Parts: sequence; C-alpha cells; structure tokens
Amino acid sequence: MIFAHPIALYLLPLMLIPLFLGTQKLEGYPSLAVLPPDWLSQALAWTLRFAGVLAIGGIVLGLSGIALRERKIERFGQGAHIVLLIDRSASMNDTFAGRQPSGAEESKSAAAKRLLKDFVIERKHDRFGIAEFSTAPLHVVPITDHKAMVLNAIDAIDRPGLAFTDVGRGLGMSLSMIDEDVLPGSRAIVLVSDGVAVVGRRVQEALRTDFARRPVHLYFLYLRTEGSNSMFATPPSDAEDTPQALPERHLNKFFQSLRIPYRAYEAENAKAVKAAIDDIGKLEQTPIVYTERIPQYDLSRWAYAFAALALALLLAAKLCARSLHAIPGGVHAR
Amino acid sequence: MTFFGVEFDRRTAMIAGTLALTIAAMIGFHLVRKQRIADVLAIVDITGSMNTRDMGNPRGSQDRLEAAKGALINLMQDLPCDSRLGLGIFTERISYLLFDPTEICANYDALEGAISDLDWRMAWAGDSYIALGLYSGIDIARSLNSDLLFLTDGHEAPPLPFTGVPGFEGKPGAIKGLIVGVGGTEKTPIPKFDDEGRQVGVYRETDVPQDNRIGAPPPDAETREGYNPRNAPFGALPATGDEQLSSVKTIHLEDLAQRTGLHYAELQNVSSLAPPLLSATEPRLVPVDTNMSYVPALAALLLLIALYALSLRETVLFANLWHLLKFNFTPDPKGASAYGN
Repeated sequence: MIFAHPIALYLLPLMLIPLFLGTQKLEGYPSLAVLPPDWLSQALAWTLRFAGVLAIGGIVLGLSGIALRERKIERFGQGAHIVLLIDRSASMNDTFAGRQPSGAEESKSAAAKRLLKDFVIERKHDRFGIAEFSTAPLHVVPITDHKAMVLNAIDAIDRPGLAFTDVGRGLGMSLSMIDEDVLPGSRAIVLVSDGVAVVGRRVQEALRTDFARRPVHLYFLYLRTEGSNSMFATPPSDAEDTPQALPERHLNKFFQSLRIPYRAYEAENAKAVKAAIDDIGKLEQTPIVYTERIPQYDLSRWAYAFAALALALLLAAKLCARSLHAIPGGVHAR
Repeated sequence: MTFFGVEFDRRTAMIAGTLALTIAAMIGFHLVRKQRIADVLAIVDITGSMNTRDMGNPRGSQDRLEAAKGALINLMQDLPCDSRLGLGIFTERISYLLFDPTEICANYDALEGAISDLDWRMAWAGDSYIALGLYSGIDIARSLNSDLLFLTDGHEAPPLPFTGVPGFEGKPGAIKGLIVGVGGTEKTPIPKFDDEGRQVGVYRETDVPQDNRIGAPPPDAETREGYNPRNAPFGALPATGDEQLSSVKTIHLEDLAQRTGLHYAELQNVSSLAPPLLSATEPRLVPVDTNMSYVPALAALLLLIALYALSLRETVLFANLWHLLKFNFTPDPKGASAYGN
C-alpha cells in the first residue's frame, strides 16, 4: 500500500469529528430523561456517526492517492538469459558483399540490427544483456528484462564502429555480465561477428577456465562476407592452416574444444541470419523463472466510492428526518 | 422548504452537494497539461585523466569518473518521467553511442546498471582529443534529435598544437546542451595502471607527452635550443611541463562551449545537473494527463466539515441562548437538546 500524496494523511484526524457532532438538525426538547432508552434510535445514531467517519476517511484516503504498490510475480516460462555480444568493428557497416551499403543492399550491422530486434521482441520471457566489442570490450546493458532499453541498445549497433575485433575480451566481459546476474535460468551467449582476430594464448586459457566454471550455451553467428574464409571448410593441404591465416576456423575449433553446448552458424545473407536466429530461439527453450510486473493499482477511486456510499446513507437519513415543529398541525413527535 | 413531507434545508443541500462532489472525484477529473521533459544524450569521457581522484566529499574520495556517473544517476532522479536518457562514451577522438535515449522511469534500474558499469577499461585508446570527441558527440546528438550532455575534465592528451582548438564545422547552437566540467581546480596526479588493471603509482613528467609534436612546428621553433629544420624541427630539448598533473580545464571547456553554442557548468559547483541542463536546452513539452480529482474531493471535504461546523454552532446555541430564551427553563448543565428531528 503506498500513498501518492501522503501529506494528505494529516487530515485523517478529521475522522473523529462525526463521533461528536451530527449531520442532522438539532431541535430542542424539554426533557429526554423521562423517555426510556430506545436501542433502535441509539443504533441508528451510531450508524450515522460511523457513516460520517467513513465519508471523511474515504475522501481523505482518496486525496492521499492510496494505491497498491507495483508488484512482481515470479512465473515459470520457456526461455533463457541471453547476452548478445555484438561486433562493432567498422567492417560490420559494409554489406555481405563487402561493399559500402547502397539503397538496395543493407549493411551487415543493419541486417543484424533488424533481425536481432525481431528476436528480442519475439522472446517474451527472456532477459537480455548487451555487450559489444571492437578494439576494447564495451559493457552496454546489464542483463535485464527492460526490453525497451535492450532495443535502444540494438538500435545503436549500426553506428560507425571502431577499428579492431577483440573477441576474446568481449567474451570475458559477457561472462562477467552473466556472473553478475543472479536469477536462476539457462544462460547463453550469442556472439554476432563478421570476422574475428586471433584470440591470444593467455586469453584462451582464461576463457577456458571461465567457461568451465559455469554452464553457458554459446552460439557463434558468423556473418561471412562474400569471398572471405569459411569457418567450416578445411583448407587444402598446401594452404596455411594457422590462426593468423584462418582466425574464424580456429576460433570455431577453440569453441568446440571448450566442451560446452556450442553451435556455429555461418550466414552469407540476411535470410541465413534469420534462419540461424530462429534456430537459436528453438534451442533456448528451457524452463526459467521470469518476473511479471503487475503495475501499481490506484485505489483512490475505490476510496471515493466508499465515501460516496456513506454520504448516500447520510443523505437518506436526512431525507427521512421529520421535524418536531414542521409537521402540519404542529403535532409533536408521534 | 418542504416537499411531500420531506424537508429540504441547507443541510440537505450540503450533504447532496458533498455526495455529488465525491462522485465527481470518483469518476475522475482529468486535465491534459504540458510537462517539460528532457531528451538528452549523455557522453562520458572515460580517458585516463578521468581516474584522477579529486572529486567527492571529502575531496579525493571519488575519482572523476565515479563523480560523473553519480551525477548522471542523480540527474535521472531529478528529471520528470517520460524524460529520455541515452548514453555514450568518449575516448581517443570520437564519441561512441552505447544506446539511444531511453525512458528513464520504466527502465531506471537497467539505466542505472549501465551507467554504473562504465569503466575506464572500456577505453580503446589512450589519447584524448576532447574537441574532436565533443564535435562527434554533437553529430550523434543531432542524428538522435536529442540534447547533449558532455561530461569531461577537458584534459587534452596530447596537448593541443600551437594552432589551437580544431575548428567546429557544424552550426553553433544547432544542438543545445551542456558541457560539464568534471574535476577539481587543484592540479592532481593521474593514477597509472598496469596491463592487469592494478594501480602502479601515478604518471610522471616523462610518462606523458608534454608538447604536441605532431604536424608543423610552431613559428617560434627557430628560437629554441638545438633547432634544426630537418632533424629537430621542435628544438633538441625534451619538452617540459606539468601535463602529468590534471585539473578541470575550465577555460578550454568554456571556449569549446562558446564555439559550439553549448552551455558550460562545473560539476564541483552544482548540486544537480538538472537545472543547468534544462536552462541550457529548449523546452521539450509533452502532454501529460493529470488526474485533478483532488479538486472536487477537497471541496467535498470542506463542505462536509462545514456541515459539522454548523452542528457545532447549533449545539453551542442550544446550550446557551436558544434554550434559555425559548423555553425559559433553568439551564440544564447536560443540555436538554436532542439529536434527530
């Protein structure tokens, strides 16, 4: 129970007034002492007093803006807590064909933005966090159920990016975001990138222990630019097969070696991205506890209604009243 | 007045009036009025000099970044609902947008989390070209159609070249907003961190560039010791200075504010950012539906109290005058008056 204007509660002592004073007209009568006490009259008198108390109380509570506090109810649903780890390097702003976006073709980041927003809107019970990486890892939105904020952060991903692609530290930041989130549920990291750099040996070791410490699902959505290396293809035997030459292939191998639930998707166009996101959506359907907000409920209307009922009772009593003097013929009370 | 044996006096009218007003309050009485809100993009400088501990109360208990983050969270509390706050960071020479302006009341905890998690480790480079960062922040604010709040200590690293501040190409005053100078006036050492993020002392004079030696040498370079047009165009001596110490660069920031048509405020001098921000920006008004039902409710309460006051007056009259005059009885201390009829 909360009050929007608690200062009005100082008026509550006014409720005592009807206990001492009535709403009916007073008329003189020589002596009441000779009359036997009439229980019905007394009950009526007290009823009217309390009606007055309720009327004042109702109006004062209404003035104070009485309301039920916003509540959060925990419910069970299907979903997950997902950190979207998004590449903000400059190449994300090119098209899948590796060109500057023109009217007909959208850039990789614009496609990712559109499809990720749809994904966030579709997933009703999921909680999302956003981390970005480029030259440095960037913490954007902690894992939250405020969809509006997540969508606003995704809106910003097709802004001009920075130079490099430090995926290792980005993953480290996503994992620390997951650690900060205390609610139970399945956790997943969706890494959206269009090409990665080598993850250094030391960072690899740190990630290996970090991933081993907690259950996390990992999805790697590789937005492949036309003509660049595939992460699944085995290079011909005469070609160089090193992390420096084929970083995506080796990152994929590194993820596979982590022994965590992991899936890689390679998308060369927006349709393939959509298919991959749909697939992730299907896989992340574990039971989770999610909170549903029940908004604040204004009770002041009910308080006024209560007061109105009490006033109606007082008005009815007033209309039933008959004066000792006003009766035609001047006869006293019968 | 009597109709059909029912007496209509002023009490009846008062109760009926109270009832009518209460019902009016119950139905609700809505008024649409214009509320001033803010729609602002906050860009926080996260370069190294923002780690200087010269803010807070007592002085030195907070570093500048913490103070800036605290000021933003306070700002959210001081702005009315429906205001929107976006967040960006600045290092090197551009501002980087983290998220578009978001409504502050419904997303308060997420916004607070995002602001609190800003960290100097998110900086992707060590340089700090404040003027360029401010200009790119203005570009982002223009694309979002927001006002700008730029929080920085104004410490350029490397120092500005002799040519001074790079020119502002936009239209001054097209984007309204506030530059907030964060930091103390005293020169304070800047903490230095190692690769693992542990503090390892403070920056020394030789750790930081004391002079901008990029681009053309200044005209007075010829008079410097050891000047050689090809081998030592800036003179042969290493530059000296106190760039390793930092304070809020009020003059520089005021100059930038003047160039870009923004206002300037210093965080150490203001208790809240909301009043300077609102006075620096054009009013943005949104219609807000306000329930004015307290007006009829208050009237109903007053009328009801007046009704009881009437009874009080009559009780007093009964106990003394009326009773004595009309009946000519000796006054009964208990009062021979009755409720009802």
